[in-house]
Amino acid sequence: MDTYVLGLALHPASSWVADKRLEEMVFDTAKAALDDAGITRDELDHVTIAACDELDGRSISSMLLSAPAGAYLKDEIKVTDSGLIGLCLEAMRIESGRFHLGLLSSWNKSSKAPFEDVMRMRCEPFYTRDIGLNASIADGFFARAVSDAYGISESDANSAVRASYQRASDNERGMRAAVPSLQEIEASPYVAAPLRKMQQAPVTDGGVSMVVCSGAWLKKHPHRRPLARLSGVAWRVDNYQLGEKRLSALTGFKESFQKAIAMSGLRDLSQLDVVELDSQTAFHEMAFRRALGLPDSCNVSPSGGPFAQNPYFCTGLVNAAEAVLQISGRAGAVQVNGTKRAAAHGCHGFAQQGNAVAIFEGA
Amino acid sequence: MPKNRVAVIGVGETVFKNNIVDKTYVELAQQAAKAALDDAGLTPDDIDAVVFSMAPTQFMGVNDVDKWAVDSVWASGKPFMRVHTGGATGGSALHAGYAHVASGMYRAVLVVGADRVTETPDAQHVLNLIWDLFYEHDFALNTVTMTALATQRYMHRYGTTEEQFARVVVRSRKNALKNPYAHLKGNITVEDVMNSPRMSWPYKLFDICPRSAGAAAVVLANEEATKSHCSRPAFINGIGGRTSTVFMGDRVGPFADAELSDEAEFVSAGKEAYAQAGITNPMKEIQVVELYDPFSSTQFPQLESLGFCERGQAQNLSDEGAFEMGALLSVNPSGGTLCSNPIGVTGLVRVADAALQVMGKAGEGQVAGVQNALSTAIGGSVQFVNCTILGADYV
Repeated sequence: MDTYVLGLALHPASSWVADKRLEEMVFDTAKAALDDAGITRDELDHVTIAACDELDGRSISSMLLSAPAGAYLKDEIKVTDSGLIGLCLEAMRIESGRFHLGLLSSWNKSSKAPFEDVMRMRCEPFYTRDIGLNASIADGFFARAVSDAYGISESDANSAVRASYQRASDNERGMRAAVPSLQEIEASPYVAAPLRKMQQAPVTDGGVSMVVCSGAWLKKHPHRRPLARLSGVAWRVDNYQLGEKRLSALTGFKESFQKAIAMSGLRDLSQLDVVELDSQTAFHEMAFRRALGLPDSCNVSPSGGPFAQNPYFCTGLVNAAEAVLQISGRAGAVQVNGTKRAAAHGCHGFAQQGNAVAIFEGA
Repeated sequence: MPKNRVAVIGVGETVFKNNIVDKTYVELAQQAAKAALDDAGLTPDDIDAVVFSMAPTQFMGVNDVDKWAVDSVWASGKPFMRVHTGGATGGSALHAGYAHVASGMYRAVLVVGADRVTETPDAQHVLNLIWDLFYEHDFALNTVTMTALATQRYMHRYGTTEEQFARVVVRSRKNALKNPYAHLKGNITVEDVMNSPRMSWPYKLFDICPRSAGAAAVVLANEEATKSHCSRPAFINGIGGRTSTVFMGDRVGPFADAELSDEAEFVSAGKEAYAQAGITNPMKEIQVVELYDPFSSTQFPQLESLGFCERGQAQNLSDEGAFEMGALLSVNPSGGTLCSNPIGVTGLVRVADAALQVMGKAGEGQVAGVQNALSTAIGGSVQFVNCTILGADYV
């Protein structure tokens, strides 16, 4: 691919951004990304947005948010699946040859939406809505299915929680929450057996923006140095119904990695130095690792992943930003020295119906 | 120039009406998807990726309803994304599908969507919630009152009369008689429009589109797949889009970048699309336009901003019959949005109907000798606009 990241910004992580409207969060993040890239808004030829009306609490959220996201009088399209799907569309717009310099933004002020009510309203009205399915219960089904399929014990999951928080504690861009003890995790209540409350990554407020350009644009601006090249991107969606096979097979997850690896011209996962996973629970973390069979040489979620910050809708794009920071040597205390290739994963829908993977390498 | 050629090779639509009681939402989407695949001579296995077109899901009551539709539109196991730019959604979804193929990443892409606007008891209440919570919710602001304000301003600037808007409705309903899918159709008179109940000045009931249920789909393909499956495709030769501010007050007065009542965002979006398509004189080179026109007043400013005539002239050309079927410019031979408005896919219906004209498949509503057709879509507070130029030949 001939698509590059010129600059990026992450909104400071918070469990509740109380001193700003969502419009201000989006503006601040978009502006910071443009500044990071040394680009003015006038130079952009398009904007891509990834946002969720229901989580934003508005019928058409981009009406008020497209201008703060830099889209005023620009060619703008919004996707509603997840932040990382926004990067997938952005990459295709650049690769089409029609666009050359764009700004991608995604956000989620999780604190302002009744999260599980929004998730429950995702249920179709005939079979699943009446039984009260929501995100936690779907993740509980997932936890049970992958525990059986991949031999994940509660002890494995609890250790994964501690390890994730441990990594997150070094990430200055994250919440830096205290690392819980095994006893605290074991004593936390079930939200949907076998899933316990502390095995879930808490949702937070956040946002992320990236300035993305084409190789042709870089040739015309040889003094600009990109942070990373996007070498491969792939995304898949699985069945809607939460059957045993759908939950444990992780079909879309594995295929997204396989396709992105192939698109990047890589042999296999062993050539990745860093993989940032969108693990919404410790069971996801364990299942994802085992499904991929990641080699020991690969650093998994050095940022702490969603346990560092989890602005739910855009966590996958936060992962992409973390991957780019690793490639460009700007990851700070969580920097993995010598990172040449890094993958970012994002997922969305009930029990991760949709998955996306982006792979970055040095430009 | 795009890296790869993109063409519409299949089109599918359902009937549009108030309620479709014998199908669920996802079955409706499937019906359109199957029709488009059949039209293209493809099976679901031939499709590499799917783009779903759906605006606010509050209309039909299931959040992220596209995920429910995944299995019904044969998207499982494939790349899938949903696009949503309000009323402009269908046009934006088409542009996203275009990016899939133009990038060279996919060979054949299905763009599909459905809506059931009447599932909600009051769509205009949902549409009040599009506005800012602190400043605008408490006004009686919705899409009817919002555009009525812009229409009043247009009338003030160009001296347009209510009767001139009524003639647009008469023409649209007459054109829709030849469209088997149209929701509203019939031979009505200017007097019928003028005598329909007053809604929000200058709108009467007949000046306003219906709330429709229905679905639409198109199959996009690269050059190789187009050659294999379609002898008369509609090439996508130009695309353009612009997003403006939500605040209507910032779009009036001497400091406005794009005048609200002129829908002036179409000026730059159109120029961009024309440049790609090699169009220098729209009125001479384009034979059919399928405009997003949920209100009788929406056509004139679009035609003017898109360069078909000077400001304030569209109403006169309309009176003279220039926009009748087969006349100087065939405007909305399908009947347009005034006759069918399944909001989440209306922009896609505009593309589909324009493509049918280029492909020579518009049936009784076919305009002779269509080389180029243009479709538009509008969303938000008339702030999201996009246009697509389809041609019989690739430019």
